[in-house]
Amino acid sequence: MNLENLYRLVRNGHVHAQGIVDTVPDPLLVLDQNLYVESASRAFCETFKVARDETIGRHLYELGNGQWDIPELRRLLEEVIPKSTAIVEYEVEHDFPSIGRRTMLLTARRLFHPDNIARTLLLSIVDATERRKRDAEKDLLLGELRHRIKNLLAMVLAMARQTSAKDRSGEEYRDAFLNRFNALARAHDLAFSEGNEVGLHELVERTLEPYAVNPTTVVVEPGPAVAFASGQILSLSLILHELATNALKHGALSAPKGQVRVRWDVQEAIDRRLRLAWQERGGPLVEPPASPGFGTRLIEFTAARDLGGRAELNYAPAGLEVQIVAPLGPVS
Amino acid sequence: MRKTMLVVEDESLIAMDLELLLERHGWRVLGPAATVDDALRLLDDELPAVALLDITLKDGTVTLVAEALRARNVPFMLASAYSRPELVGGEVLAGAPNVGKPTEERRLFAVLEQLVSRR
Repeated sequence: MNLENLYRLVRNGHVHAQGIVDTVPDPLLVLDQNLYVESASRAFCETFKVARDETIGRHLYELGNGQWDIPELRRLLEEVIPKSTAIVEYEVEHDFPSIGRRTMLLTARRLFHPDNIARTLLLSIVDATERRKRDAEKDLLLGELRHRIKNLLAMVLAMARQTSAKDRSGEEYRDAFLNRFNALARAHDLAFSEGNEVGLHELVERTLEPYAVNPTTVVVEPGPAVAFASGQILSLSLILHELATNALKHGALSAPKGQVRVRWDVQEAIDRRLRLAWQERGGPLVEPPASPGFGTRLIEFTAARDLGGRAELNYAPAGLEVQIVAPLGPVS
Repeated sequence: MRKTMLVVEDESLIAMDLELLLERHGWRVLGPAATVDDALRLLDDELPAVALLDITLKDGTVTLVAEALRARNVPFMLASAYSRPELVGGEVLAGAPNVGKPTEERRLFAVLEQLVSRR
């Protein structure tokens, strides 16, 4: 084999090795035992914005104006690596002049050449900054979700505890509780629906849908479009449900010809406010309840706290009339 | 005279439940306050014997309320889903008993008893 051939072979071998190095998707350096760069992957050059010919043959700590001369990395390469064959995903945080502060995962492996004592070091440097950020965001999201689930369970518990069991059979209690439970599930769907925002019209229609047994039972006369925050959607949906379930038990919806009308308008005075009217007709003669039940309390309480307004219940003999007044945000 | 408890909880259903539960056991409820502002305003008017606090409210964490209670020497307990409330609401919450959320009735009153008898 002449020198010419040997050179070609070595060169081919090098091209071959470079090809392999380039197939590695992560930034990878092949270092000799003195930490001079023998080869650098394309991903390394792209990630750290360096040219390959500026890199090969240089000492690691000299690369890119000494940006790899990191105390932690030095310790790793000079103290840890000689004693172990591999280091996997060692985390280093560093400010890089070209790309800013990054979290890098360093994986190093020593290669022993069978036919000589030369040692080669493979060093892969994975930029985990984005991954770490995504992980942190995911953790935050999961934490919020866990919190929301517990909150929802607490709401279910509250309903179970406050749905009256007095003078009721087990079955009656179960039905009354499940009725509220279904309303909560429905309200939750409305409040946290994916994508498009739920407006007042859709909220009213969807909440009262189970009660609209025929077209004249529940009549909705939509007013101007109104949008609410999700917490308020939940509250308003629960309020409407309590009104409807009450109408079914004692009011207009307990009679075959009874009717509920829902309509609203928006007053554009100094502050915008919603006035939503609930009107029952055609039911039995109305008498005010002796003491307000949980449903009535819930209506008044949530109208005041969650909507920042008030609910007025007027037990007119011809049918219950409720007016819910709630301030809306300024005109956007 | 009935003893008074400040209740701070922004979820209305849960707040109502706690209120009714406490009233059934003979307590008078101050609030329930839904926001830090509400709670602080209530505290300006009246000092309760004890307080029950949710941690994340509509206008922030309950930290300021807890600090106001500590400064006035009013014991408080937490009703929170967080296993380590101090990580969310600050050091002032460390060591405060947490009755959890959802809140079991028995646990609520057991902790309440301890808190009140400690005084």
